[in-house]
Amino acid sequence: MEKMKLKETDIINIVIAGTAGQGVITLKRLIEFAAQKSGIERIFGSEMHGLAQREGAITSHTRYQKKNFKDERRNLQSPLICYGDADLFICLEPLETLRRGIFASQKTTFVLNEHDIPGVMITADLEVYPPLDKIVEILKEYSNDVHTINATKICLNNFNSNLMVNIFMLGYSIPTGSLPFIDVEHYEEVIKEWLRDSDTNIKALHLGIDEGKKVNQL
Amino acid sequence: MLLRCYLLKNDLRFSDEYGKVLMLGNEALVRGCLEAGVSYISQYPGTPTSDIGEYFHRILRENSDVKDYLVHQWAVNEAVATSSCAGAAWTGIRAFNPMKHVGLNVASDALSVIALNGPNPGAMVIGVGSDPGSLGSHQEQNERFYAWMLHLPTIEPHTPQECKDWVKLAFDLSEKYDLVINLRTSTRSAHSRGFVELAPLKKGKKKGEFIRNIPKFNSLPPHAINNHVRLYERIERLREAIPDLGLNKIYPGNNTIGIITSGIPFGYTMEALHQLQLYDIPILKLGMIYPLNYQEITNFIQDLEKVIIIEELEPFLEVKISEIAQIKKLNVEIVGSDYFPKYDEFSTGLVATTLANIFHKKPNEQMTKAIDYFNSYKDIIPSRFPTFCAGCPERATLYSILKATDSLENTVVCGDIGCYVMSFFPPQQCSDLIICMSGGLSAAIGMSTKTDQKVLAMIGDSTFFHSGLSPLAEAIGYNSNILLIIFDNAWTAMTGHQNDVLRYLINKDFSIEKVCKALGVPWLRVEDSYNPKKLTKSIEEALNAKGLKVIIIKRECGLQAHRYRMQQIRSIESQGEKVQEDIFHITGCQMCHECSRILSCPAIRRVEIDGYETMQIDDDRCIRCGVCYQICPNGAIHKSTLNLLGEEVPFRH
Repeated sequence: MEKMKLKETDIINIVIAGTAGQGVITLKRLIEFAAQKSGIERIFGSEMHGLAQREGAITSHTRYQKKNFKDERRNLQSPLICYGDADLFICLEPLETLRRGIFASQKTTFVLNEHDIPGVMITADLEVYPPLDKIVEILKEYSNDVHTINATKICLNNFNSNLMVNIFMLGYSIPTGSLPFIDVEHYEEVIKEWLRDSDTNIKALHLGIDEGKKVNQL
Repeated sequence: MLLRCYLLKNDLRFSDEYGKVLMLGNEALVRGCLEAGVSYISQYPGTPTSDIGEYFHRILRENSDVKDYLVHQWAVNEAVATSSCAGAAWTGIRAFNPMKHVGLNVASDALSVIALNGPNPGAMVIGVGSDPGSLGSHQEQNERFYAWMLHLPTIEPHTPQECKDWVKLAFDLSEKYDLVINLRTSTRSAHSRGFVELAPLKKGKKKGEFIRNIPKFNSLPPHAINNHVRLYERIERLREAIPDLGLNKIYPGNNTIGIITSGIPFGYTMEALHQLQLYDIPILKLGMIYPLNYQEITNFIQDLEKVIIIEELEPFLEVKISEIAQIKKLNVEIVGSDYFPKYDEFSTGLVATTLANIFHKKPNEQMTKAIDYFNSYKDIIPSRFPTFCAGCPERATLYSILKATDSLENTVVCGDIGCYVMSFFPPQQCSDLIICMSGGLSAAIGMSTKTDQKVLAMIGDSTFFHSGLSPLAEAIGYNSNILLIIFDNAWTAMTGHQNDVLRYLINKDFSIEKVCKALGVPWLRVEDSYNPKKLTKSIEEALNAKGLKVIIIKRECGLQAHRYRMQQIRSIESQGEKVQEDIFHITGCQMCHECSRILSCPAIRRVEIDGYETMQIDDDRCIRCGVCYQICPNGAIHKSTLNLLGEEVPFRH
């Protein structure tokens, strides 16, 4: 799909949603630190600490602006993305996309991990988890830039672990063009500096990029 | 509220003397303290300020030169922390006292006196983390009103850069004007990351000296009134100086309607105006929200027809600015709380919608579309509450409470603050009320005199020390007809397992059991919730006995116990040795939901195999507590032991 080219003064908005333990906050930090290495002038984004940590729903907001305007009234000023203003929505868990959908516009690129994590109310059969097809259908009816992949399965197959799902999904997002002005080598550098099993994570990043390239022509 | 300190091994953000780094608001506060020469910090953990102490601890662990002058203490509660900071400041050093908004309630008794006396010869800054939207708290309150009551000059940063720069300035002001300064963040400003320009570090004073000054430090008659008079003098001197501090900033514009705002809402306002293409609105961004300089405010508002105050929670700036307009007899309309909600946190969307209404503009279509579209699917989104971790001993205790009371038949459970604050969530719903730290036991004392229902109260070990000892003494004194459950999990778990007083006490062989015995608890048992049948029986017996009963649940926090055990296992396996391991699995499940609704462990999942529904244990998440195996009424949960000849690695005690 032809993406509108983003300008250096544009504010780039990335919502990452998932559940506790999926690495939502780690992924946000990686993007921010890689953005710094790529010479981005302005970064301001909120991460959710607190009660959400215990099996709860987690959302983080990553925002950056490659070049500042002289006029402060046009610059990135809030750590939270406005409703309907996300450029990229990285969803580590399908349901959480719907829960935070209001941040997405019809131009938002959705990248969605198909693997679901049902909460305790689903296990207790007191609430119903909507079918994946239904979730994807709702997103596709709204935006025509929706990419889904079973990142958990791919990571389990390749690395015998689901700990790399967040990094894989980052890689999968890169070819969509919705993470502009940050170089892949900078993600690699930050992964080396920050993550324990950095070699595997870099492999997961590139595996994600390769998968992403299959569905995006860049 | 679990939070890890994600500092890098070679993280130079707290040690470099110059450069531009990425920091969270809280990290920037810590950096600011290091640049300001702070040498004493005391706090009780609480979101959004818990991580401040974790950064200090990490810095102290890794930098022996900092250790030489800097002391960080995890206080037993906020009142102790605040008085500790005052005590340190009164020796002539700079002391920092972070706390969450409700922590200020606890600290206020001490702070009311310290503010009167003044922190000189040293300096004292409190860092209050407010929480509009109650994102990590048991309630929502507008703690800014303490600024009026106690005369706390309050500075509110917007970005991490301001967090760092302004905490430094706060110390200078505290020292110069003999005032306790409040550096107020919010959950958003504390936990948002942005660039920070570093400045050189400054070593704090290693030692000071207390110099006797009875009138200053004894705010009793006749000195109380003198200190109150002196407080007014100090505040007025600061008020005069505000325009020169560089905290408040005007963004000029030609419109006759202006905006006054501060902190994170300033960010929402700027982006909302950009969205509405309103570029001519004059804006006054207040860095200091109390006190206000009358002339500065007058200069901004006097030529305007209308001023919109954009602030979260109850009107605070609005009231004071209206007061100034009235005193100065200005013909300007001051609005804010008529348009904006007085509760919950704001967002760019909310501010944009409200301003669109005031300025008769059409709200952004992209936004309204997003809200309408996704809200139309709200009903199909199941809830995802925060809940106890897999293998949590508190969850297992709730199971026993539910079993012993026939699902709380004729029973009231007085909850409290800690992980067990989550007890009220479904499916367990095992907490009827929550007030504040140790409010559950206190409520139970009164309630038990007025009802024949069975009254249970819960308290954790950290909360027990925070303020639970006093109501326990009272309950013993009156022999209140209560069953008190004390979760002795050895950690301040909810805020992220800080290395706090509780840990020091545990290392000194301390036990809650000894404390209860010494106080004279008439009916006392120590139980383990990993033995659910025995615990259930104990609870039944306790509820049939009259007077005060205490059951101590002695079992380490499952998260920490599991981490420690896995470390042991990794180290044994790295030597090529085998480890004995219990695996739990389910066959022949009758779908009775005992494990999913009454225990509700997140390591248990409902799946479909060959068209049949069954429960399944997620081996990755199961920590091997064995509770589900013991409670399954149909014997469908089985245990098999791998590597029978391998080394046994039990949970530590």
